[in-house]
Amino acid sequence: MRLLWSVIMLSAMSSEVFAGPRETPPQGPPPKPFHLPATTDFTLPNGMRVTIVPYGNVPKIAVRAFVSAGAIDEAERQVWLSKLNAALMKEGTHTRSAEQVAREAAEMGGQIEVDSGSDFTSVGGVVLSDFATRFVALVADVLTAPALPASELPRLKADLLRELSIDRSEPGALARERFLKTLFPGHPYGRVFPSDSELKGYTLEDVQTFYRKNFDAVRTHLYIVGRLEGDLRRAAEGAFGGWPKGAPEPGLPAHPVKARSLQFIDRPSAAQSNLLIGLPVADPSSPDYIKLDVMNSLLGGSFASRITSNIREQKGYTYSPVSSVSTRRHLAYWVQSADVTTAVTGPSLKEIFYEIDRLRKAPPSGEELKGIQNYLAGLFVLRNTISPDAIIGQLHFVDSQGLDRSYLSTYVQKVMEVKPADVQAMAETYLVPSKMTIVVVGDKAKIADQIAPYESAAQ
Amino acid sequence: MPITYYKLPNGLRVILSPDSTAPTVVTAVYYRIGFRVEPRDRTGFAHLFEHMMFQGSQNLGKMEFIRLVQANGGVLNGSTRFDFTNYFELLPSNKLETALWAEADRMKGLAITDENLKNQQGVVSNEVKVNVLNQPYGGFPWLWIPQYANENWYNSHNFYGELKDIEAATLSDVQAFFKTYYAPNNAALAIVGDFDPEQARQMVAKYFSAIPPAKLPAPPDLTEPRQEKEKTATRKDPLANRPALAFAYHMPPRNSPEYFAMGLLDQMLVQGDDSLLYQELVKKRGYTGDVSGAINELGNMFNYDGPMLWTVSLFHDATVKPEQILSAVDTVIEGLQSKPVDQSLVDRSITKIRSNLYDTLGQFGGFGRADLMASYALFDDDPGRINSLEADFRKVTPQLVERTAREYLRKTNRTVLLLEPGAAPPGAHQEKSK
Repeated sequence: MRLLWSVIMLSAMSSEVFAGPRETPPQGPPPKPFHLPATTDFTLPNGMRVTIVPYGNVPKIAVRAFVSAGAIDEAERQVWLSKLNAALMKEGTHTRSAEQVAREAAEMGGQIEVDSGSDFTSVGGVVLSDFATRFVALVADVLTAPALPASELPRLKADLLRELSIDRSEPGALARERFLKTLFPGHPYGRVFPSDSELKGYTLEDVQTFYRKNFDAVRTHLYIVGRLEGDLRRAAEGAFGGWPKGAPEPGLPAHPVKARSLQFIDRPSAAQSNLLIGLPVADPSSPDYIKLDVMNSLLGGSFASRITSNIREQKGYTYSPVSSVSTRRHLAYWVQSADVTTAVTGPSLKEIFYEIDRLRKAPPSGEELKGIQNYLAGLFVLRNTISPDAIIGQLHFVDSQGLDRSYLSTYVQKVMEVKPADVQAMAETYLVPSKMTIVVVGDKAKIADQIAPYESAAQ
Repeated sequence: MPITYYKLPNGLRVILSPDSTAPTVVTAVYYRIGFRVEPRDRTGFAHLFEHMMFQGSQNLGKMEFIRLVQANGGVLNGSTRFDFTNYFELLPSNKLETALWAEADRMKGLAITDENLKNQQGVVSNEVKVNVLNQPYGGFPWLWIPQYANENWYNSHNFYGELKDIEAATLSDVQAFFKTYYAPNNAALAIVGDFDPEQARQMVAKYFSAIPPAKLPAPPDLTEPRQEKEKTATRKDPLANRPALAFAYHMPPRNSPEYFAMGLLDQMLVQGDDSLLYQELVKKRGYTGDVSGAINELGNMFNYDGPMLWTVSLFHDATVKPEQILSAVDTVIEGLQSKPVDQSLVDRSITKIRSNLYDTLGQFGGFGRADLMASYALFDDDPGRINSLEADFRKVTPQLVERTAREYLRKTNRTVLLLEPGAAPPGAHQEKSK
């Protein structure tokens, strides 16, 4: 090895010399037209919505039912009850043991996944297309007739306690918990972790009640996307037709906080500080939403964005800074995150606010904006073609936000219509530093002085 | 899947695989230099170097490569793995020529400064901090277990890099590494998506054929001795709250019948909630909430070329002792070693692996297909292997599964890594140094 290395050193003696004018990149021909895959939509007599989309030539198919039931349906001392319910739903049905469910799904080349989130619980999976109709029936059995067996409850609670303990050891999770708690006081969106004792106290009856109250046909939308095999409409009608209609979700409006605060969590001798900076912005139904999307991509939401260029590519403070517009049902918030080397915590905050202020004060150049618009237009094609689950993600976003499907067909056009002044206006209107929540998780002894100036917006 | 494979006179391996599902195209360049083969006093260098490939070339200054791809509606990335470093773009299909021009530009040479290097040393140090040093379970088990299981330095060093080594790299290290390994005869170019193969062929010739080949160093000896004794190591993790356990077995040689049998054993034992270890450790005994496992934790069972581990890991509570977990694992594995498994279990594993293979090949707009084809072009000179993998798995019999379990799932072929919450005793050096 030493020998090899010395050979390398020798060859390095001549350094690279480039001469002559720079070439400009070839542009290529005009783009091919892109058409969104056609969807078939229908509603069963019990109110359950179904969307079927033929896509691709890989013989796989994604089947996923989204039920509007999640953390939002938990009472104050029921944090993670929706998660426990999701775990218990995987433990077999009235006619199949958990092992049978797992084995049948595996024989179709997939498995049953039950995931709970803030607003939805999804039940489904991805299997070989040959088994599409059988898998629809299996998904229906798990979703509409789960056994919710008492025997598995202690084990699943122990698993969730372990998961909770591990989550609490992760600095990024601690930052996120504090950020959401600050933004959504008194609302389930702000309750990220339960206490151990709360979790230990959940009973089978709590889970059964949660399931009974929140899982029904009218709150459910089934998506089937991929290479279609068999009569899937009939399969969906047959498997879900007998499920009671139930009542629509009650909903629980949130009123996120827009006020400056600096939240600090001490993590002695941490090698990095985890930063989250953000505030509520216009929700997806607002005409500003797509403009916000463009503004975000330019400011911090893409590799070539201003904040990433600054604190990563110029300063080397961090590896993966990113900003995003995150949504819950009928609301959105903007947040910039960055895990930065402890010694440059203050300078990182300074640069992030510098870039926010710069965009608030002056519009981007037409060229910079054009680059971001092209990026979002290209990304839109990827999001709608990359996999059956990606297509489901796009449709579920539009449907769950109550938007018209034309949101998708007009998205690129709307992105392209955004003007430099719109981008500045979005930053000026929404990214108001004096209303931002700042969360810092890091080594207090080393960074207290660096972050003190950010206590109020007056620096 | 349609595949055209040929070599340019300078040795560049070119793979074209058209697919008109979406108006997008993947351009992927793979260099046959992974982190196993990096200078001994520069751990982490192969990966640091990968970052430098985004810092400027003759016609694209710093940030310009990234902006070019983004402004043309695409995404890009690079990664460093055991046996290759890759760079790829996923773009609208009309931008294939733009991508080829840009990849050729940086294959011709780098134009970077000390300042660029210093900047990326900062970025990479932060990458190691965010993924390892500042994370509970950081590097568990993917970064640590090869260091305990392997004996050969190439396979057992810290390939993310010691911070001091990352910080010690110089600009001449960077230029030397480039000249040694970043040559067309040490690379493969894969194009997957909606394009015309004849046009692509002409564009590839136009942009890449003038790049001169290099004299490549003889490949080092990567072999591992046969393991004859079980190894157990313990690491303390001051950031962790709960203990964790991982174990790994050395894999059979790539592409051997036993290798394909191990692919099925991986499916039988840990992939999916029907798997034997999930059923035993999660459902029956309640030792953990999940069992994860993989052949090649930084990729898949197809995209490497050298000694490899099959690794399994899980988190548990302090009330459950590692001996209990391992004894339950042994019971399951002994069941596979004592008699041929049911044909139905083999069939189910083949179904799972076939389904999984479709996902891999379709992954990320065709990137997964480019990844496998480029790997097979570099390692086996045969990207068409992707079309015969299913048949290779179908040849596996219950008897072969039993034989493979006996030889490769031997306890003496195993390394166990225990992660315990808490600080290491003062003065203890946990890094594996040989």
